[in-house]
Amino acid sequence: MTRRAPPRPTPVRTDTISSALRIIPPRWALAILAVAISYALLQPTLNQWLGWRLPSIPSLLGQSSQPHVAPDSESPAKPPGKPPANETSNASPKDLKFGFLTDIGRDRFQSPAGLIYAPGSEEGHRLKHIERHLKNDPKRPGPHGVFEGDMQDFLKAIDETYRLARGHAKGSKQSTEAGSTVYEAQFGKPIGFLGGTLGAQRGHPKLQRMRIVVRNENIITGFPIQ
Amino acid sequence: MVLPYLIYVRSCPICGEGLCRVRVCTSDHRLIGCVVCDECETVWKEPEMQEQSANGIDGVTACCPECGMSLWDDACHWADIQEVCLLGWYDRVKVART
Repeated sequence: MTRRAPPRPTPVRTDTISSALRIIPPRWALAILAVAISYALLQPTLNQWLGWRLPSIPSLLGQSSQPHVAPDSESPAKPPGKPPANETSNASPKDLKFGFLTDIGRDRFQSPAGLIYAPGSEEGHRLKHIERHLKNDPKRPGPHGVFEGDMQDFLKAIDETYRLARGHAKGSKQSTEAGSTVYEAQFGKPIGFLGGTLGAQRGHPKLQRMRIVVRNENIITGFPIQ
Repeated sequence: MVLPYLIYVRSCPICGEGLCRVRVCTSDHRLIGCVVCDECETVWKEPEMQEQSANGIDGVTACCPECGMSLWDDACHWADIQEVCLLGWYDRVKVART
């Protein structure tokens, strides 16, 4: 019985590189190496921040590094502007925060619609701040919109609100005051309920609208409303 | 420090969900008060909420109207009843048990 040899990995053109390095003076070779390392480190960041599509080192060497990302078939038309990080980065779904947000560095995350979740707020991070709306706060005076679902569903609903309101979809609206833009969208089905003391008084009615507050593409807060 | 009560002026006219609460900054060794929505973080200079205060240079961070420090810095906190009295704002706030 003959043993089949294990499949060979994709050949890398190391022979070409090493032969090229032999004929280049050492000082030049070091400079080229330094440039290559800098490029490899900066390429993903530049692609994310500036929306460029610089090829990665493996792809320049003839190896494919583009993972397959399933298209979001439910998304409506996207507003014009800089492409969001999820659409330009090489991140696979398992690398995404809550399976939805792309890490763009400095503890900042970007949604497919382009919203940024950054450090800030009393809780220390916007993600922690909006997380308050995943559960009721029965003693809180006034209304407290509670989203029914997990964090990923909530982030998707916030993105959907942003897209619908920017696309002037039916039942949506937006207004700007002192640098804050408030977006609202109608979902046509219950997405949460009214909590807080007002919610208790009214028997926790179901909520079908979402409101988000955005400054300079940074999400400040988001919650279901009546 | 978590207070057993919550001091607020009114519900937020910007986001409709938050409570406009009294926040104090002590970074300058003085007691500087302002009103901040705990949901959308809009800042007003006084409890009448006539004059909004600008955000930080990033346009996002809620900052002290006087010294410009982030209102989420360690030198800032939600005012207690004594501080609200020192600011002379006690008759303009509501107090709710939490």
